[in-house]
Amino acid sequence: MSSGADNSPPDPADPTGEEAARRADRKSADDAWAATGLLISGVAVWGGAGYLVSEWLHNQVFVMLGLLLGTGTALYGIWFRYGRS
Amino acid sequence: MSFLLASAEGSEKEGFVSPGPGDFEFPGIFSHDSWFTKPILIVIVATIIVGVLFYLAARRASVVPSKGQFAGESLYGFVRNDIALDAIGHRDGMRFVPYLATLFTFIAILNLSGIVPFVQFPATARISFPLVLALISWVIYLYLGISKHGFVKYFKNMMFPAGVPWPVYILLAPIEFFSTVIVRPLTLTLRLTFNMFAGHLVLLLFVLGGEFLLKDYGGVVGIAAGSISIFGSIVLTFFEGFVQLLQAYVFTLLTALYIGGALADEH
Repeated sequence: MSSGADNSPPDPADPTGEEAARRADRKSADDAWAATGLLISGVAVWGGAGYLVSEWLHNQVFVMLGLLLGTGTALYGIWFRYGRS
Repeated sequence: MSFLLASAEGSEKEGFVSPGPGDFEFPGIFSHDSWFTKPILIVIVATIIVGVLFYLAARRASVVPSKGQFAGESLYGFVRNDIALDAIGHRDGMRFVPYLATLFTFIAILNLSGIVPFVQFPATARISFPLVLALISWVIYLYLGISKHGFVKYFKNMMFPAGVPWPVYILLAPIEFFSTVIVRPLTLTLRLTFNMFAGHLVLLLFVLGGEFLLKDYGGVVGIAAGSISIFGSIVLTFFEGFVQLLQAYVFTLLTALYIGGALADEH
């Protein structure tokens, strides 16, 4: 929390300890939603592509292939971005 | 929708119609079909309040601040230190503080109109208002990213994170594009809208249900359960106030994070 009407910006040169931890905390605020968004995108993009192909070739198996491919790729993307420490 | 209508009709025997999406539709204020409805009025008033608030805070700014100046500066300082500088960084953060502070205040007032006595409707529960605000954020972060990195490099950074084996790019790049360009503004919109929608619906249910139990159902059971329901609505009103401020903060923080991400050197 910033202190009231104290109008001086915090010292930019020295983000130590608590300040750095707080900033990292802010930066990770979007992680859960971004991961969910990636998963939804995987299902929507490749599941949608699979649906179009299945409509074209009259074979429903492409929907399933697309969904699996999209989910798998999205999970890989989530792992790549957040899972490697 | 039909399910909700059916449940409302089903309970009509007992005389209680549960609140539903219909309670979010308002007739025009001056004539029934006019566009000038209660949510529109709330937005117009909120716009005036934001303008007057910051005008009064900035007018006659002195070293020893007046109460109004103190309130305005506290708000401004909070957005600057805890949102803009933390999420965007010290190099670029300062120039976005005016927009972020206005955005935070505007959304907070629109949300809080849900628990202000006699107003009691969160204008942000109507999806068009959060949608427009999210689209503004969307235009800002896309514009900043493209103007800083150039069109090709910005989308290349977004779609091709460094270090992924190249065959995976074929599958991953469209997903990354979709999630940044299409899903982001949607989640921004839906999170705010449905937090306000659900909160208002719960409050309506507690108040209307309590009223029905006390007045129409009656008896020992009705009065006991109705009292609990009305008391619960008071507790929930405070909880709603907390949620409304939190959602204004979340919307502003995420906008700041998206701006920071667009200006970052590498993803």
